[in-house]
Amino acid sequence: MRNRTEHAPEPKATQVVWTPYILVLPAFAYLALFILYPMAQAIRLSLTDPQTGGWTAAHFLRLTQDPYFWPAVRYTLLITAIAIPLQLALALAIALLVHTRFPGHGVFLYLCALPLGLSDLAAGLIWLSIFTERGYLNAALQALGLIRSPVSFLSYEHPHWLLGAIVLTEVWRATAIVMVILVAGLQLIPRDYVETAQVFGARPWQTLWHVLLPLLRPSLQTALIVRTILAFQLFATVVVLAGRLIPVLAGEAYFWYALYRSPNVASAYAVLILLLSGAVTWVYLRTLRTPVEAQA
Amino acid sequence: MRRIQLAVVITILMAAWSVGLGRTAPAPEIVFTSNQFTPVEEQEWARNTLLARFTQETGIAVRFITEPEGPYVDRLLAEVRAGRGTIDVTGTLHGIFPVLVAQGVVRDMTEVQRQLDARRDRTFYRDLLAASRMEGIQAFIPWMQATYLVAARREALRYFPQGRNPMRMTYDDLLQWGQNIREATGERRLGFPVGPRGLYGRFLHGYAYPSFTGSQVKRFRSAEAVRMWQYLRRLWGVTHPASFRYEFMHEPLLLGEVWVAWDHTARLLPALRERPQDFVVLPSPAGPKGRSFLTVIVGLALTRLAPNPDLGTRLIEYLTRPSTQVLTLQGVGFFPVSPEAARVVPTGGLKVMADGVAAQAGAPDARTALLPIGLGARTGEFVPIYVDAFRLIAIEGRPIQEVLDAQARKLEALYRTTNAPCPPPDPPERPCRPD
Repeated sequence: MRNRTEHAPEPKATQVVWTPYILVLPAFAYLALFILYPMAQAIRLSLTDPQTGGWTAAHFLRLTQDPYFWPAVRYTLLITAIAIPLQLALALAIALLVHTRFPGHGVFLYLCALPLGLSDLAAGLIWLSIFTERGYLNAALQALGLIRSPVSFLSYEHPHWLLGAIVLTEVWRATAIVMVILVAGLQLIPRDYVETAQVFGARPWQTLWHVLLPLLRPSLQTALIVRTILAFQLFATVVVLAGRLIPVLAGEAYFWYALYRSPNVASAYAVLILLLSGAVTWVYLRTLRTPVEAQA
Repeated sequence: MRRIQLAVVITILMAAWSVGLGRTAPAPEIVFTSNQFTPVEEQEWARNTLLARFTQETGIAVRFITEPEGPYVDRLLAEVRAGRGTIDVTGTLHGIFPVLVAQGVVRDMTEVQRQLDARRDRTFYRDLLAASRMEGIQAFIPWMQATYLVAARREALRYFPQGRNPMRMTYDDLLQWGQNIREATGERRLGFPVGPRGLYGRFLHGYAYPSFTGSQVKRFRSAEAVRMWQYLRRLWGVTHPASFRYEFMHEPLLLGEVWVAWDHTARLLPALRERPQDFVVLPSPAGPKGRSFLTVIVGLALTRLAPNPDLGTRLIEYLTRPSTQVLTLQGVGFFPVSPEAARVVPTGGLKVMADGVAAQAGAPDARTALLPIGLGARTGEFVPIYVDAFRLIAIEGRPIQEVLDAQARKLEALYRTTNAPCPPPDPPERPCRPD
């Protein structure tokens, strides 16, 4: 590889082609203004003293001493660790089902993608109206004669139920985005591979495991990165269903800003989420890297 | 090609339109910000009724921006830092004004007060005017007031402890009431707004603490405080288990999840409005040290950098006019700050509410507590100290004294760094220090 590039003939014309830079400029300007600049601001806020303006680690120290901090870290990771494998498995199943192109698969696809159009707050409210004491679930169970009086599903006495409700809402709401990415990925895989596998007598499971999944790797990588980063930002559904009994990192960032009026500690939370997201993305990029020889 | 032509035509048209916009004489417009009226219905009412009438009368358009406390304060501070003002009038809680005064956001309102007094159509309650003076200036013109109290379904009254008077309720009565309901129905039907944006913190520092200990801060970890927390634990045992999520108590009240609820008047009112005959409003309970309650004062001020202070003054005149105060009471359930407006007798749900407010304020053992002031930019850290104590003691079951000692250290540090005085009923020593 190296030799070849070294011996490659030098391009004669040294004029710079500006077109790509000009084309990239609007996107870059957008990112710089709305992503990079606020990011730098947040990092600065999290590390400076509001009175003196000098550098300090006090905000991170204060954050670790907050009674909500460690539960927030624990619950954020826990919800992510439970919800994402479920979403991935479910999304893969739906994507494969859609890929069989059964009659009516178009309608089915749209129905499954429907929650994509909902904000997480709306999704939280929908599931709240199901689980609350006067909600649909209690009404249904009572109508069926399974319970005599309504059950408080969302109670501080059962934190596991609260967690379960959050995971369920997340799976319902966010599986669609993974599914859409995987459906697109599946459509990119030429039929020939599957047909070849069938000619060689591969059973469906073997085809899935040895042909489809490896070829789907780039899509899986994208889906995992997108979903995990979004999971670290999870906030509205949790607050609606569990208040602050199940604290999460993004929620704490909000509360430190809106309730405690401390933009510095709120920024420290934001920076922490940024670092976590960055670390996870890096891990995904490393472990799910498509081998060079498999690249088209 | 045709598409490009179309785009060019549209661009030219838009440019011409915007030039035309610039040419027409601009209607005078002022900007009014607040952290009140944030619920959508209240916003709608403020824009379409309250401020629309002002525009109709004066021809001055009002751009009303309402947002939660954090962004609200930051917007004002950002204008001061930038040295360029767009906001003319701002209306917020008495407890936030110290922050605004300390940062030079608002003007001394003494002159505006003089103009209003000269009109002779309104006076203001003296204690509200006293609260408006801080750091040697008058920080705001009183605008409206509110309090927190108890709303209950009528049918719950039959479980009220025998031989006791609900209008003279004590904390023991409240607990017994919850226990009676639980024994009779098997359900916990008391409710408190313990959710993240609920106002339960106000119950702890402004109601329970002064009623049990006669203090908000000084006796934070006293023996009386320990007894109070033991009581609150028992009370939590008869409180609806979804209370940790509640933020506006009118919702569970209307659903029937909760029969007896404590909350801010504006957050109970929608239930009373919808079914006035189903609910009663009762004073907050009394403890060993009296019946403490908080008065919430909302005030109006001109910002220092206001581009249109004269128009802003006209808005303040309109908003504090007795007839507007009555309109505000009817619209969003905030009570008048002028005796001239308070004479108007409301009807329906508002009447139920007004009777409860009067019973609370007029009770012989009534004690007014005020929101803490002087904590400046760190005002927001006061309430969480109480709410976190509640979470640790009542929900997580940690040892009371241990939690109180730890939280008292935070309170002390907060007051030490801000050198703030104790809020009433504590003596105004500075810095305030829990014993």
